Amino acid sequence: MPSDEPAAPAIPLARWADRQLRLLAGETGSSRIAALDGATIVGERGANGGYVVNGKVSAGIGGSRLMPTRDHGWFALTIIRAEDRELLPALFGDADIDITDNEAIARAVARHDCAELVARGRLLGLPVASADEVPASAPVELMAQGHRRERDAGHRPLAVDLSAIWAGPLAGHLLWLAGAEVIKVESLTRPDLIRRDDPATFDLINQGKASIVVDFADKAQKAALVELIRRADFVIESSRPRALRHLGIDADALVREVPGLVWLTVTGHGATGEAASWTGIGNDCAVAAGLSRALAEASGEIGYVGDAIADPLTGIIAAREGWHAYRHGEACRIGFAMSAITARALAEERAHDPALLDAELRGWGAAIGRRFPHVPRRPLLAPVREFGADTARYLPC
Amino acid sequence: MKPGTRLKSAACDTEVMVIRCGDGTIECGGAPMGEAKPAEPAPLSADFSGGTLMGKRYVDADGQYELLCVKPGKGSLSVDGVALVTKDAKPLPASD
Repeated sequence: MPSDEPAAPAIPLARWADRQLRLLAGETGSSRIAALDGATIVGERGANGGYVVNGKVSAGIGGSRLMPTRDHGWFALTIIRAEDRELLPALFGDADIDITDNEAIARAVARHDCAELVARGRLLGLPVASADEVPASAPVELMAQGHRRERDAGHRPLAVDLSAIWAGPLAGHLLWLAGAEVIKVESLTRPDLIRRDDPATFDLINQGKASIVVDFADKAQKAALVELIRRADFVIESSRPRALRHLGIDADALVREVPGLVWLTVTGHGATGEAASWTGIGNDCAVAAGLSRALAEASGEIGYVGDAIADPLTGIIAAREGWHAYRHGEACRIGFAMSAITARALAEERAHDPALLDAELRGWGAAIGRRFPHVPRRPLLAPVREFGADTARYLPC
Repeated sequence: MKPGTRLKSAACDTEVMVIRCGDGTIECGGAPMGEAKPAEPAPLSADFSGGTLMGKRYVDADGQYELLCVKPGKGSLSVDGVALVTKDAKPLPASD
């Protein structure tokens, strides 16, 4: 590819993200948020990482693929752990499938109906989606409520960020930009692996956060973490419900007990009911939102739009909703569904300017093989703390 | 038995999906599991009553069998009388 090839045009829905950021800047009064723009927040990982628009294979490491099914649907499957491939014989009911061969996987997909693969994939805990599904949950869901807390005008909010990867940490980053003290919590045995896999993105969305490491096998440390949460104004978390219970953290009980605690639960497809046990990652959640179908309708070819776009859209909404709740003062737990938030963004963008959205989708569909649009690299405003550098300060035990 | 087959416990509420299996008898609560529930429930063996956990993957020592619990129950899983153990989950890397 010649180096003077123009980059891809704007990522569709970046303007929606920009409008949300403008609102968040107004609501928080943060000049640092006012200095951000939607194209940067949605596109900085792809631009910094040199991602290329890749059609039916997701950009970046390419862990998500859209494949046609027997009934003319499109099935999205994301495989980012080698051990998830071990589930593929069960997904397809075929003991002999070569689980290392993406072509063999695509042939197996073509022998099944889409809804059957999505249902079985979700039971198996795989991040899967259909291009033609309707998100299972509301974008934003009130899960629990508690008591009101009065705060002094100069109070600096404290946020405990238990989340990983992109959406949750971005919400924490936006709260940090708005003035919160943010503590990033990682498990000793399960650290946030984007620290290692994508340090440039990790640094952008975790800069300025204190870093603590918890050994969840240690009862005293777990108890100290719960005490820290009891002092917090925000908790951000992206665990599946049984994982949180396994850690010994009862979110709903804490929200009922701790006045003013705002608990943000970031999920793929919903925080309650059956969908709470499904997994969802930015690219497949955007497929479940209908964004790939919208691309196909506008451009004639199905594919992924942007880079795990459900993640940054959700991070912005989680920060906005969290800030509203904090200002309101009453404790609450709010669930966020990445698929439904992306579907809402698509619907609102379509209502806002249908012709422009259509043109952007056509432009994105025609950009296969081109680099992601350039966005200026954000300078870091604060140091990135070493893994666990602040454990002793925040977890005395 | 094909991978992807769903098996039900005769002795409790447990249901599993077969990820991988050999020719032995897959049991829960000490009784063989089947694709349908028997009309009369089997008694829960005290030796296999530790319970199953939703979403956990259970394996044998040789790695020949792997079962995913899709519905928890009071019985625990075994193959030909030998208890299965949970497979420890590995951490998720970055989304893409």
